[in-house]
Amino acid sequence: MLTLPAFQWSRPARLGDALAHLAEHGTDSLVVAGGTDAVPNLKHRLHEPRWLLSIAGLGELRFIREQGGAIEIGPLTTLSEIARHPKIAAELKSLARAASLVASPQIRNMGTLGGNLCLDTRCTYYNQTLFWREALGFCLKKSGTVCHVVPQGKRCVAAHSSDVAPVLISLGAEIEIQSAGAVRQVAAEDFFVGDGVHNNVLVPGELVTRVIVPAAARRRAAGYQKLRPRGAIDFPMLSVAFAARIQNHACEEARLVVGALGARPRVIGGLDALVRGRALDDAVAETVAAAAYQQCRPLTNVPYDHDYRHEMVPVFVRRAIREAQEDMARGEGT
Amino acid sequence: MREPSIDAAGTALEPALCRLQVNGETRTCAIPPNTTLLDALRYELGLTGSKQGCDKGDCGACTVVVDDQPVLACISLAFACQGREIVTIEGVAESGRPHPLQDELDLCGGAQCGFCTPGILMSAWALLRANPRPKREEIAHALSGNLCRCTGYTKIFEAVERAAARLPERS
Amino acid sequence: MAIPGGRVMPREDRLKPPEWPGGRSGAPHGAFSVIGKRNRKIEGLAKVTGRAIYADDIALPRMLHAKIKRSIHAHARILSIDARDALAMPGVHAVITGRDLPEYFGIIPWTQDEQALCEEKARYVGDAIAAVAADSEYLADEALSRIRVEYEPLPAVTGIDEALAHPEWRVNEKSAEGNLSKHVHLEFGDVDGELGRSDVVIEAEYWYEGSTHAPIEPHCCVADFDATGFLTLYSSTQVAHYLHRDLARVLGLPPQRIRVIQPVVGGAFGGKSEPFSLEFCAARLSMTTGRPVKILYTREEVFYAHRGRHPMRLSYRTGIRRDGTLTGVDARILIDGGAYSSFGLVTTYYSGQLLTAPYRMGAYRFDSTRVFTNKPCCGPKRGHGSVQPRFAFECQIDKLAEAIGRDPIEVRRANFLGENTRTVNGMRVTSNGFLECLEAVENASGWKQKFRRLPYGRGVGVAGSMYISGTNYCIYPNEMPQSGVQIKLDRSGRATVFCGASDIGQGSDSVLAYVVAEELGLDLGDIRVVAADTDLTPVDLGSYSSRETFMVGNACLDAARKLRLLIQQALSERWGCGRDEITLAAGVACSIRDPGRECMSVREAFQVAEARHGTLGSVGWYQSPKLGGDYRGGTIGASPAYSFTAHVAEVDCDLETGFVRVKTLWVAHDCGRALNPVTVEGQMEGSAYMGFAEALMEEQVFKPGTPAHGAGLHHGPSLLDYRIPTSLDTPELHSIIIESIDPEGPYGAKEAGEGPLHPSVPAIANAIYDAIGIRCDALPFHPPRILRQLRSGDPRAAWERARAGVPAGR
Repeated sequence: MLTLPAFQWSRPARLGDALAHLAEHGTDSLVVAGGTDAVPNLKHRLHEPRWLLSIAGLGELRFIREQGGAIEIGPLTTLSEIARHPKIAAELKSLARAASLVASPQIRNMGTLGGNLCLDTRCTYYNQTLFWREALGFCLKKSGTVCHVVPQGKRCVAAHSSDVAPVLISLGAEIEIQSAGAVRQVAAEDFFVGDGVHNNVLVPGELVTRVIVPAAARRRAAGYQKLRPRGAIDFPMLSVAFAARIQNHACEEARLVVGALGARPRVIGGLDALVRGRALDDAVAETVAAAAYQQCRPLTNVPYDHDYRHEMVPVFVRRAIREAQEDMARGEGT
Repeated sequence: MREPSIDAAGTALEPALCRLQVNGETRTCAIPPNTTLLDALRYELGLTGSKQGCDKGDCGACTVVVDDQPVLACISLAFACQGREIVTIEGVAESGRPHPLQDELDLCGGAQCGFCTPGILMSAWALLRANPRPKREEIAHALSGNLCRCTGYTKIFEAVERAAARLPERS
Repeated sequence: MAIPGGRVMPREDRLKPPEWPGGRSGAPHGAFSVIGKRNRKIEGLAKVTGRAIYADDIALPRMLHAKIKRSIHAHARILSIDARDALAMPGVHAVITGRDLPEYFGIIPWTQDEQALCEEKARYVGDAIAAVAADSEYLADEALSRIRVEYEPLPAVTGIDEALAHPEWRVNEKSAEGNLSKHVHLEFGDVDGELGRSDVVIEAEYWYEGSTHAPIEPHCCVADFDATGFLTLYSSTQVAHYLHRDLARVLGLPPQRIRVIQPVVGGAFGGKSEPFSLEFCAARLSMTTGRPVKILYTREEVFYAHRGRHPMRLSYRTGIRRDGTLTGVDARILIDGGAYSSFGLVTTYYSGQLLTAPYRMGAYRFDSTRVFTNKPCCGPKRGHGSVQPRFAFECQIDKLAEAIGRDPIEVRRANFLGENTRTVNGMRVTSNGFLECLEAVENASGWKQKFRRLPYGRGVGVAGSMYISGTNYCIYPNEMPQSGVQIKLDRSGRATVFCGASDIGQGSDSVLAYVVAEELGLDLGDIRVVAADTDLTPVDLGSYSSRETFMVGNACLDAARKLRLLIQQALSERWGCGRDEITLAAGVACSIRDPGRECMSVREAFQVAEARHGTLGSVGWYQSPKLGGDYRGGTIGASPAYSFTAHVAEVDCDLETGFVRVKTLWVAHDCGRALNPVTVEGQMEGSAYMGFAEALMEEQVFKPGTPAHGAGLHHGPSLLDYRIPTSLDTPELHSIIIESIDPEGPYGAKEAGEGPLHPSVPAIANAIYDAIGIRCDALPFHPPRILRQLRSGDPRAAWERARAGVPAGR
């Protein structure tokens, strides 16, 4: 079997204690919630922290509630809880769908919203055992100096592989971050940065403590589509989240986010100009798909060749929009 | 929460006491923090029914049920499971009699080499407790995190359906 | 183990299998009471309750854990190994290197080219270099990182073309020449003449990608060398006997001081059919430390142990006449063997020898070359060596049928080889239920309503195949039985069956129990099977080449019938009736003359027989008749019986993404007689699943070298990156058992474990053509490849043509 590296273990029951631990050991401590990403990565020796901070005991971070029209979700809410929560299934369908498409049932039972948001980036040259990476000569994300995806590249391009993040960005969600003595809130879109080594804005000492999906996001025409070889277990090789606000059969605004390309989910630009005031029909879908194709550049960081994944961008965009259309049609029918 | 506020285990390789609720019993072992739940069950508590197939959460052979949910023991840390109700394949039979799921998996030929079977069984067991009359599609979804290399799944689906028919509709 | 010098020929009567009234295929008394019934497997409840003990479930007192240091280079000379730092660690007990295990081994006696730990050179990324035993796996891992190996990297051979182009980059010094592992050229009949006289000749090249077994249980063993100099090895092997021999050889121990025990094995599929580094290393470390030593491979190491499906490039020229008669076949096959020989000699023969049924072919030539490359070694995966040519050939038939405007099922039927006949390469074929298989899948699938009639995007395809029920000879030449069984009867009414057979989940232990239950009238629960323990059980060669049901079943049938005779004799004397008037069934022995009065329990009957004859025991063995063609290699592919299979696949293709969804596979398989239909169906479904997986997604492939890293890195040695199908991907599988009742099989049974895999891949390929008009000549048919093909040329036009050319359902 693959062994785990040695570490010291801390499992506080209160958020304050967790933040205090992080204030002291932040740079030496790996935060683990469900463990579905961190534990395999530890077995691969991708992390070798002195401390493991298990936040699984922080009951106060496990909730789904309404607050002034917004839906707030605690980061320790599991993905299966999100997928089957009646309010989310009814009003934030694309989020429920994304959560229900993560990996496997067991992993959704363990994995949390916060964990999925903070998922380490993935790359075919990185998510391998220590032995394999030694045979490779390592890479610039961990222990090495070379990028094997972009040969002269100086910046890691490992892929953002969260299913829920593109959806949260498409819905305009906000993320609350706490550290000992400070709270800040960032838009989901701004939570991520384009650096595969560490692709979010969290600094040592910080924890995601709340995800806020604004009232305006509820009952959007939304869709989430995921490309993966198998019907389960696999990470996305491409993911597309779409959400639009429809008023009197016309788009008021729309967001399209493409994941699993680089370190940061890509928000497709210029969308409002393409869709505003138009019906969400196949012609619009086609235009949006073409724009996405133009703006996306898949790399060889995850399986399937990049040309194929590029070809799939418009296909999956159309499908995500179709999902939104169907959803809308059903909604109007009731 | 049910566990003490902080249970830090001294130096990294120093074994510390880990108390687990397994199959209705409180079991205790002394393990270092870098012990997975699967290692604790198999190598410390003698519950070798749960299997290790892939090392890292890709195959489902190690599936156990924790607080009514199937989870992967090979990527669960044993210390993180303190205070939670764990059920393994050894805890499914009642008074030594095979559970209908076990019986039907055997009768239908749902276990060939048997190595994925404990994981399959735990996923199916949790499914039937939550959904006593699952449709075939729901069974396929519930088992989609359990790789079987022998059967092509057909006989496993059949066994779960037949077991469901033998169980009361409300669990 | 030394075989006595010269050929010690057995007496004629020893080679003649006992003849039984009513033959081997019938029931002992009229109707079967156990055989053919949907019985449980004898170990089934242990497996579903978590009680079955697999190798990694074994823990012995004071047991150490060992790990293997592996090469980070695909090809490198080992200049030095420094283990001092590792040995200095507290809790580390021993380190061994190639010098501690210098003896070469290999499953085929003529090609022993492996060492447990490489001494001079590493030949692939992951080749074993050193091993360390420590108190825990964690410590062993830490110790591995402190072993320093100095390498001199050498040019790495990563594929067939490179192997042939650069003989000077010699992968394996045991090769006779360059990177050639084996070359076979065989020709039967006038191939060029037949092709010349054909109305249509189709020439095409196929690529069959490599794949691996991926049993869910990783390889594991526990070695225990005791103070008396006796070694016990528990191993997840499927060939305990061959492992026993090679352990003696490599460790330099007398074989009678070694005991190999196979615990319950968690899947093998050919991937555990030869000795591996772990077994030798654990044994040597146990000898060094005097403590039990366990080695459990990580999933990554299982991918390096490999021995999976060989990648093959196959060029076929195949001819047909307008009347549908197949004429000649000319095949050139290049095989990527990886770094060592394994079963490669046999693989190279199998790549041609197993193609000549179920169809008659006028003339046949194949030229196969296996090369060494710097990759993990390929070997026997379910359907060893013959799945790849079967794919190519069944696709050829589909193309030829289209070319002459005939339904592909009809063309297959028209070329049916027949039963009790010989193939063009001299293989004796007895029972043959292929026509029934074809008919069964044709009807079950609704072929006539579907073929060339479904809308664009959906289609059906057909393919057929044959496979061996065991090979004619043992891997090492000898005149001893291939399979032996001993049965001991107890006064309590229990029978214990001892046999070296290796149950890997397919149910060979249960076959033994079914036979004994049927013959002696026992309940299955009254039979204990002791299997695959070299101290306790007579030799059986193990679980490979689909030999267990046929050979073990026959050996057991004879042993059981000998005992039945003794019991019948004792009872006939007591009751004064004829021996054949005594029946043993359902726990009761009675005479058919007066079953009301002349009647007792089987337990009592055992006691009567024991009183009459003394302690009751018997032996049975199986040895196949002399078979095969009269030419070099003519015995390879010769089998006492052949199974036959036909598949129809129905697919649904996503034209935008290139995803192929295999909706249904109908599988009809002639297994002779199904001793237990549940396990036969299980083998059929599992085979079809595995073929489907190879067709659509699995590939054991390696990264080429770049300026930044060396060649030969496995793409992703994990069950995340090596994607085997989940319950959501797998097609609906319909199995239809065809029983041709083989004259020599036990109760008429033949194999079911490997044959039913073969047609899956070509049936799916042919269905994709029917669906979207593209020919899938290269595996796997994954979405990028399908989409590329959809966008090149005009598949829709090809599809329209195919549809116009063949009157559907003709």
